[in-house]
Amino acid sequence: MTEPTHTAAHTRLLREKIIKSIWLLTALISAAAVVFILGYLIYTALPAFMEVGIPGFLFNTEWNPTGSDPSYGVAALIVDTLLVTIGALIFAVPLGIASAVYLSYLAPSRIRDTVKPIIELLAGIPSVVYGFFGMVVLCSFLRTTLDIPSGFSWLAASIILGIMALPTIVSVSEDALFAVPKDYKEASLGLGTTYWHTISRVLLPAAASGISAAVVLGMGRAIGETMAVMMVAGNAAIIPDPIWNVLSPVRTLTATLGIEMAEVATGSMHYYALFGVAVILLIIALLVNIASSWIIKRTQTPRSSDSRLSAQSRKWLKYILAAVLCVLFFCFLVAALGVFLAVIVAVLLAVWYFGRAKISSSLAERCSFGVIYLCTGVVILTLAIILWDIFSNGIPAISWEFLTASPSDLGRSGGIYPAIIGTLQLVGGAILVALPIGIGAAIYLIEYSRENLLTRALRTGNDLLNGTPSIVFGLFGFAFFVIYLNWGICMLAGQICLALMILPTIVRTTEEALKSVPNSLREASLGLGATKWQTIKKVVLPSAAPGILTGAILSIGRAAGETAPIMFTAVVFTKRFVTMDVFDPVMALPFHLYVLSTSVPGATAQQYGTAVVLIVLVMLIYLAAILLRRHFQQKLLR
Amino acid sequence: MTSVIHTHHLNLSYGSKQALFDVDFPFEEKKVTALIGPSGCGKSTLLRCFNRMNDLIPSCKITGEILFRGENILNADPVELRKQIGMVFQRPNPFPKSIYDNIAYGPRAHGERDAGKLDAIVEKSLKGAALWDEVKDRLHDSALGLSGGQQQRLCIARTLAVSPEIILMDEPCSALDPIATSKIETLITELKKNYTVIIVTHNMQQAARVSDTTGFMYLGKLVEVDDTKKIFSNPSEELTERYVTGRFG
Repeated sequence: MTEPTHTAAHTRLLREKIIKSIWLLTALISAAAVVFILGYLIYTALPAFMEVGIPGFLFNTEWNPTGSDPSYGVAALIVDTLLVTIGALIFAVPLGIASAVYLSYLAPSRIRDTVKPIIELLAGIPSVVYGFFGMVVLCSFLRTTLDIPSGFSWLAASIILGIMALPTIVSVSEDALFAVPKDYKEASLGLGTTYWHTISRVLLPAAASGISAAVVLGMGRAIGETMAVMMVAGNAAIIPDPIWNVLSPVRTLTATLGIEMAEVATGSMHYYALFGVAVILLIIALLVNIASSWIIKRTQTPRSSDSRLSAQSRKWLKYILAAVLCVLFFCFLVAALGVFLAVIVAVLLAVWYFGRAKISSSLAERCSFGVIYLCTGVVILTLAIILWDIFSNGIPAISWEFLTASPSDLGRSGGIYPAIIGTLQLVGGAILVALPIGIGAAIYLIEYSRENLLTRALRTGNDLLNGTPSIVFGLFGFAFFVIYLNWGICMLAGQICLALMILPTIVRTTEEALKSVPNSLREASLGLGATKWQTIKKVVLPSAAPGILTGAILSIGRAAGETAPIMFTAVVFTKRFVTMDVFDPVMALPFHLYVLSTSVPGATAQQYGTAVVLIVLVMLIYLAAILLRRHFQQKLLR
Repeated sequence: MTSVIHTHHLNLSYGSKQALFDVDFPFEEKKVTALIGPSGCGKSTLLRCFNRMNDLIPSCKITGEILFRGENILNADPVELRKQIGMVFQRPNPFPKSIYDNIAYGPRAHGERDAGKLDAIVEKSLKGAALWDEVKDRLHDSALGLSGGQQQRLCIARTLAVSPEIILMDEPCSALDPIATSKIETLITELKKNYTVIIVTHNMQQAARVSDTTGFMYLGKLVEVDDTKKIFSNPSEELTERYVTGRFG
């Protein structure tokens, strides 16, 4: 009688062990990927650091790797990257936060429920589309209105990046504001304060950590962006002269990689220097990561009396920061509106700032709400203009032939069928690689392991790669798969690059989804005698499924729109046939749009048509994510 | 006897669901009035009418009038009104700021910038809420570090700092332990020297202990309002008697 149950227990134990080792294996694979990528980049960059020396590399402002007397100083690139990012944030942060305040506190719930998902959808528009819009509309607008020789400039790059960061900032800030306990609002209103006073003194400060996270996320997006910047920034590796000359062309770190990777001779000092640039990007990503976790930690622990000792110095710091921001903002105003209008705007703002203590609270409320409505209007109008421009020009270009034929005459006629299929192949392959490994690693991290060295290292590396600019993955893939493994430019290299890029996101979102399953459910199942794996399979995964799926689909959308990681690893510009061989190069929509808009004059209709197809494809993927999430949530409730 | 607030034919509905029916209720000055009744009888809804907190609910419709010193509350400016009629909520809801900043929040909002005056207001309010001795050495620590009972007294102090005439309390002790509750009850009997207090409570002993007048509500209607002693010993309505003796509710 005991004999059979004994063996059953044995098989069960064995099965549990095997399953656990599978998850451990996936965790190890993703850890190995992280370590390998980081190691490979740093290792390849070493010759450049040795030759030029770290101070020479960092502080020399001359970047001229192809001259007769080559020079490898990245100072100008770093300064330009910072300037472009700061410029973008000056636009995007006030507008984004104001729109988030409008959506959370002023908009009727019906408007909030429609506008919020639309803004989230806009976050998914591929960066190459923004770059395209910047090139054909914004830059020529700047050139004609400001009467300058070229619109490709710091200003254009900052505006485009600001617009790109807006949806992220709005959406994440809105979540933070919405999560502020309703108690605070009642408490403050109950003391006889106006709604605006309640918002500005209680609700916004209470959401400060979430809003800072939104800003850091937006900043990360701006720093890591390659394509859009490359297409509008003018790409001269100089520090603007004078430093506030927003009309000067600039070149960021990422754009340098995007421009020079294709032409560099493997094994030359230039090649190693490009890896040095990638390492600097990694360090910046690391700093952004540290900053964001510091912000979160700082706001989570209640402030003790010690930190008030430096209240005076903090006040001064605040003043200095505010002054710097004001000066920068004013420079932008001058550039954007001309001196005369800029002075008027600045005076109005100053009057508002210094006069607000004097005016009655209800007038202050009306003025502030007016500004908020205005900002929200600007945000919605900007996004609407972009969509309108692209769709009104692109839809007429789309025909049955455009969708089903191969390109001819350098893409000026024919269709984009191979590019559509190529994009699907790249994304499909990436997801096949990344999804099992990512989900497995997350299951191991959350369900099977306690906090130890492996998990901590994996999480840190993961977060770092999560914030790493996508072009760095392209650089890695180019050097390792295309050159070192001698695969040549091929579909498989692109698939793996994209997979590596989305892997950290999948691990992260799966972890979050698993963490959100309450422990009481696990205890209930284990308490009934279920094994660990049964509990995970029958109880944990079904409740975590919506979160996991949403994360996976958002990653698919991101992979479909990315250009930088595939640009030098997988794609060619024109190809007459669809290939099924993973060692053949493919066409892809984002890259096709990039080349059409930068290198093929006279293909306007095809540019717009490709942009529309790309947007629609990505939007469909995102829409699927939203619908699926809703479906699962309703199923869980029933 | 002067009534400082008096409702006349007050009807209130949330969308299609009516929550208050024809309530006529006088509240006396410098007294504690308790509102009792089973869950969902409308006592909190009635209380939230007096400082227009129901404005925050879009579907809420009110007819009738609520006279506060002869003026109809329903036509008043809610911001001005709430300075005169303060409120303490069911769960303690201090802002995530320091103790000092919590108390000074209201006066600052109403234009008080003078540091010395603010210090005085903070001290006076905390003393008025019997919290001063416990927190005077850590005024600049986060209010979220206080215990639940202390937090609720902080919320009372925060209300006092605006110097209202009337203090509304919406089940102020329901989230507190018995010791913290008894401190708040003592405080309420102190407060009526200077303020009119209207308190909603689930706890009938509490109503009997702290209030001078008690109103019993049932299904959105005011059943009976009278001296607390009379309500609990010899109510006029049979429904009230059944409720206060615990036979339903």
